[in-house]
Parts: sequence; structure tokens; C-alpha cells
Amino acid sequence: MSAKRLVKILVLSFALVNVAMAAQSSADIEKGIGDQVYCMCGGCVTSLNTCPMQFCEVKEGMHSIIRADLEQGKTEPEILQDLVNRYGEKVLAAPPARGFNLAAWLLPGVGLLIGLFLAITVVRRWRRPAAEAAAPAGAPPVDENILSAVEEEMKKYAD
Amino acid sequence: MNQVGAVGLIAALVFAIYGMISGAIAGKFRSPRMLKSAQRAVLGFFAMTTLAVVSLEYLALTNDFHNSYVASHSSLALPLVYKIPVLWAGQQGSLLFWTWLLSIYVALAVLLNRKKNRQLMPYIIAICMGVGTFFSLITFWVANPFDQLSLATATGITPYAPPDGNGMAPSLQYHSMVIHPPMLYLGYVGMAIPFAFAMSALLTKQLGDNWIRVTRRWVMVPWMFLGTGIVLGGHWAYHVLGWGGYWAWDPVENASLLPWLAGTAFLHSVMIQEKRGMLKVWNVVLIILTFFLSIFGTFLTRSGIISSVHAFAQSNIGPWFSVFLAIIAAFSLTALFLRLDFLKTENRLDSVASRESGFLFNNWILLAAVLAVLWGTIFPIVSKAIQGVTVTVGPPFFNKVMVPIGLLLLFLTGAGPLLAWRKTSFQSIKRNFTVPLIFAAIVGGILFFAGVHRLYTWMSLFLCAFVAASIVGEFYKGARTRMKSTRENFFASVYNLTMRNTRRYGGYIVHFGIVLIFVGFAGQAFRFETQGLMGPGDLLRAKDYLLRCESIDTGQKANYQYETVALSVTKDGHALTVMHPQKRFFLAEQESLSHVALHSTLAQDLYVVMAGQDPGSDKAIIHVIINPLVQWVWIGGIIVLLGTLLALVPSSIERQMADLHKGREELAEAHHVS
Repeated sequence: MSAKRLVKILVLSFALVNVAMAAQSSADIEKGIGDQVYCMCGGCVTSLNTCPMQFCEVKEGMHSIIRADLEQGKTEPEILQDLVNRYGEKVLAAPPARGFNLAAWLLPGVGLLIGLFLAITVVRRWRRPAAEAAAPAGAPPVDENILSAVEEEMKKYAD
Repeated sequence: MNQVGAVGLIAALVFAIYGMISGAIAGKFRSPRMLKSAQRAVLGFFAMTTLAVVSLEYLALTNDFHNSYVASHSSLALPLVYKIPVLWAGQQGSLLFWTWLLSIYVALAVLLNRKKNRQLMPYIIAICMGVGTFFSLITFWVANPFDQLSLATATGITPYAPPDGNGMAPSLQYHSMVIHPPMLYLGYVGMAIPFAFAMSALLTKQLGDNWIRVTRRWVMVPWMFLGTGIVLGGHWAYHVLGWGGYWAWDPVENASLLPWLAGTAFLHSVMIQEKRGMLKVWNVVLIILTFFLSIFGTFLTRSGIISSVHAFAQSNIGPWFSVFLAIIAAFSLTALFLRLDFLKTENRLDSVASRESGFLFNNWILLAAVLAVLWGTIFPIVSKAIQGVTVTVGPPFFNKVMVPIGLLLLFLTGAGPLLAWRKTSFQSIKRNFTVPLIFAAIVGGILFFAGVHRLYTWMSLFLCAFVAASIVGEFYKGARTRMKSTRENFFASVYNLTMRNTRRYGGYIVHFGIVLIFVGFAGQAFRFETQGLMGPGDLLRAKDYLLRCESIDTGQKANYQYETVALSVTKDGHALTVMHPQKRFFLAEQESLSHVALHSTLAQDLYVVMAGQDPGSDKAIIHVIINPLVQWVWIGGIIVLLGTLLALVPSSIERQMADLHKGREELAEAHHVS
């Protein structure tokens, strides 16, 4: 099996799994929203799902709003917006991805990409020039099995 | 004893300043006499900080409330076992504790290097004593734990002692809190030693292989303490805070994670320098970053610039730490810049598909994790400064950003060791990856059909299976090869293989511990919660569990009153256990705290919290959480600790080399004498 074919199969498998997993129940969505907003009772300073205050009326009220919105067929972003409209942006447990707050979300990704670029650049710079790495002209080709066996031995004793 | 402690502090400061100056002079003029003097200053620094610590402990154990710090953080009713942690229960004591641990580390470094690393030692002492000077100064000048209470009367100022102290924060009165902060501090403080080694190597231009080989162990020890401290902190949060979780991305939690991640990157990249003479500048940068983040963590914990559940530790020492951090950055980066010519890479990369590349990408991911956590932690300050609005950056942000990074890291944990140094052929990749990938695919398929339909959870468990299979495969292949040549049985072969290269196989065990921790994380996706009001005879169902309230009682201990409920638990109709969650009210501190009741198995925890009694009905307010796979986090933490300890044990090859080296030295000595 070629490397390209292996990669294609892996990508396709993950895509299929992703699609199959996309279907979520209302309870899942409610739980997901509960993790993204803070309980507005003012006493706990925790997310709606982890508020330790028992029989907190505010918490129950917020759950009721989420359930009612779900029954009306609203999507997760619409429900979050509904909660923001009622309680203000402070209800969100993470900064909304707009305006200056966008920087909070973008920087880790940008950092990741710059890091990847730097890592690839370093690898390319470090690589031996092709002429240096290649076997001398006229040298017999190395048997792939012997090469693999040598690699295994190197792995055992090199580290 | 208060005066004794205060004298100890001043003397420690004097020793630290002298040690810093004499160490620098010994380094500059290569003076053995000054080096000896600097070494004695280190021992004096250790003795004096020990005196200060013993004095403060004595004051705490004897309830001497003339001492302001003891009066603020202890009480008559505080149990004896919690009087020792008074030392680190507040700002002043914590800083003294930091200083004392530093003195232990530096004294150890001096004692272990009496006959080794002679050229490096003067500057190592100078730099460590520089750090010691800063902490001694802060402890003496800004946050002195030996301040005494006094009253202004008509006849003048007279000493004063309240009849009882304010007590310790109830959340700290828990057994893992006795060891969690010392572990974290041993981690933070210990990073000063590798930093000093690196700086000394730069200053003396001794940038060969020696400093990096010595430094590796000096990083691994505090890294181990830091990791243990982080897990113990999670254990404490899980058992004390009552919300059923162990990690909340609190700024102070993040502060402990940052140097751990940077130290992890160093422990991997250092191997490339040892094996191939590459990444020399990068390794120095990582050491600087790890130490910088350790001080930054202490700064975040202590300055109070970001709101946190660790508010008990806050005060106004922020500006002092800001200046110190600036000095560290300026000094270390200047030293690095001036020595860039000595840090040239010795080798070239043979192939992209190699262990070297694996480590490089491992560093990429770990540093991306550092950036993401750091940015999320400080973003509220940045937002306040730029747009004048304080925003919340909580678990939703960190989970979204960190989960993909964590999964990439998990993949590399499994893939990296499957690559050979220098070059790996496609045939070899195919052969090494096939079994782990097939195993992971089988596990993934079973999980999918068993109902694991959340993508990240599924991917996490899929990758856990992949990494676990690759680790088991490494042990199996190594043992099989050894069996062929030695005719040992399989278990003897695994043991001898491991002891022959403790670092490599200890590392695999650490990786396996990380896998188990990720399994535990994945379990959080299946958490279930319910709650109810319960009086005697009332029932509450939580999935397969049925809880029956047998009684509600109240009582009193020395330092708290409590309400408790006896809950008999059945599972699938079979009697399981009786649980006793409590709500405690601490008298001296006037604060309440829930004492969680737990029934733990490897599959799941039944986590029961008594939030109090409902005033209307007098029934108990019961919150039940079913938390799958949490035990794997603690087991994984223990395995990481054991793996690190194993990696610290000198391998049989290292011992043989040391014996050979010693024999040569003795021979040379004998030749010299004759």
C-alpha cells in the first residue's frame, strides 16, 4: 500500500466518523450550552453545569430558557445569543469571537501555524544537500530489508 | 523565637548577597579560594533559612499569636497536622518556604559537585545566590513572617497577642493540601538550578556536552515534583471543592502547567543535542523559558493580578516580581546572544522521517500549548488594558483551544518512538505503525459501536489505544531481541532491558501514565448529574444507583460543626455501600465547606455532595455526580511519577561507564604519585 493511499484511507475514515458523530441529542446540546455560559446567580462564579448551589432559581431559570429555545428549534448559536440578550455578554464563559476578543481565539492558532512553519523551515535547513546525502555514483543500491534491519538495530542502541 | 527567626532571615540575606558576589568573583578570576568561600556562603544561607523556618514552625506549633502571621493563619483548634502547613498557608510563610527550598537545592548542588564541574560552579553559585538574594530580600523587606502584633497604649506600644488566631482557610484543611504546595514549590524552585547551569555554561563558554548531560537530571527532578504537585492539586480540587471536577483552568492552575510544559519540551529536545549535537540554542532558550515561567507562576499566584480561587495567597508584591522577571529576561537573553557563536549545530538532518524531526514537532506542539495557556491566562489583563473591559477566559476557551493541541501531542507521543534516529524508511514506518494502528482501529470501532459518538472523546481514546500499543510494542520487541541473544525468560528480559536503558524505558512508562490520564479526561464526556431533597426514607436515583436516606445528623469536632446524611446505596438491586457526605462549618474561620463522599471504582466514581439542609423542609440537599474513569487520572499520575523515578536511576551502561571513568582516574592518580 502506498503512503498516499494510506493517508487517503485515514482521512476518509476520520471524515466518516466525524459525520456519524455530528448528530447530537437535545440533552447533549443543553449540556454543551451549560458549559459555555456562567450561572448568573452571582454566588457561584462557575459555569451553569458546575454551579454547586442547590435549587438555585436563576440556574433553573436559565435551564428552562435553554429547553424552551430547543423546543422552538433554535440552534446552539441562537440559544447562546438569546442568553446574551437576556443577561449581557458577561454570561459567556469565554470571550465572544469578535472585535478585539477575536485576538484571544486567533493567536493560539496563529502561533501554532507560525511554529509549524518554523519547524518545517528548520527541518529544510537542516537537511543534508541532496548531493551529500545521495550514495556515491556507481555504488550498489542498498537492499531495503537490510536498511530496515539496520534502522531497528540503531533504534535499540542509539538511545 | 520570633527574634531568632528574624535574625535567621537577615543572616540568610547577608549570606545570599555574599555568595552571589564571591561566586561571581571566583568565576571571573578563577579563584579556588573565593569558590570555597562562596560554597561556605551557600551552606550558611541554608543554615540560616533553616533557622528561620524552624522558628516559624515552632511559633505555629506553640500557638504564639504574638506573631502576626501565625495569628492570621492558625488557631487553637486547628489540628496539629495542619499546623505544619501554616508555613505555606499565606504569603509571607510561602516566600520563606520558597527561599528555604532554594537553599536546599543550592546546598545539594554544591555538595554533589565538590569535585565535578569546577569551572561551572562559581557562576552557578552566583546565579542561585542572586535568586536567593531576591527572595530573601522580599521575605525580609516586603513580606516578613516575623512581624509582631502590638497595641498602642497610653504608656507606648506594647506587644499584643489575641486569645485565638483567625485559623486556616477551610479549603486548605485537607490531607493532600499538606503535600500539594510543597511539591509545586519543589518544582518551581528547582528550575533555578538548571537555569544556573545553563547561564554558567554560557558565561564560561563551557558549552560542550557536559552541562547539558548534568542539567537533564536537574530538570527532571523539579519537573517530577511539579507534575506530582499538579496531580495532587487536581486531587484536592476534586475532593474538596464539591463541583465534581479536578481541573478548571484557573489562572493559578495554568501557572503551574506552563513551566511543566516548557520543561517537558526541554526533556525531549535535550536528547537531540546529546545524540546529534543539534538544537543547542533552542535548549538554552527552553531552560530560560522554564525558569522564567516558574517565577511567573509564583508571581501570578502571589500578586493577585488575576482573579483566582487561590485568592488567599494574594498581596502587593507584584511590582517586585515584575522587576525580577525583567532582570531574568534581560540577563539570560544577553548572555545567550553573546554566545551564539558557540552554539552552532554540529550535524545535519538526514531525513524528515526521523526521530529528530519527531522531537522537533513535539517541541512545536508543546510550545504551542505554552503559548495558548499563557495567552488565555493573561488575556483578561490585556483586554482590560486595551479595551477597558475585563472578560472571562474560562474552561470553554481552554477546552476548545487545548483539546486539539492535546490530541496532536498524544499522537506524537505514540508516533515519535516508532521513528529511528537519523532516518526511517517507509518500509520501517509501515512495519512499526501497522500493529498500533490496527489495535487502535479495533478499539475505535468497538468504542463507536458501544456508543462513543463525541469526536474528540473518540479520537482521544483511539489515540490512547495507538500510543499504548506502540509502548507495549517497544517493550515486546526489545525483550524479544534480548531473549534471542541472552536466553533469558521474557520477564527477566523486560527487567534487564529496562535497567539497561532506564531513561528510555522510564520515558515509555511516563508516556503510558500520560495515556491513562487522557483516558481519564475522556471519561468526563460521560459525566452524569442529578440532585434532590432527601429526608429519612427518601430515594434518589442516579442511573444504575439508588440512594436511600437513612438519617440526617449533626455534630461537632474541635474546629468545625457538621451536618451529615447517611445514604445507603444499591446498584442494580444489590447493596453497595453507605455514604456519609458532610457539610462542615469552620468556627474560627466562619466558613462552610462540603466534605464529599466517594465510592470509587476503575469504571466510575459515585460522587455525593451534601450542599446543606433545606430551611423549609429540613431535608438534606443532595447533589450526585457519576464521574466515569476519574481513577485513571490518579493512577496515570502515579505511573508518571514511577516512570520518572525509573528514568532518574542510572542505567547499567551509565554505571559501567562511571566505574570505568573512576578506574581511569585512580590509575592516573597512582601514576602521578609514583
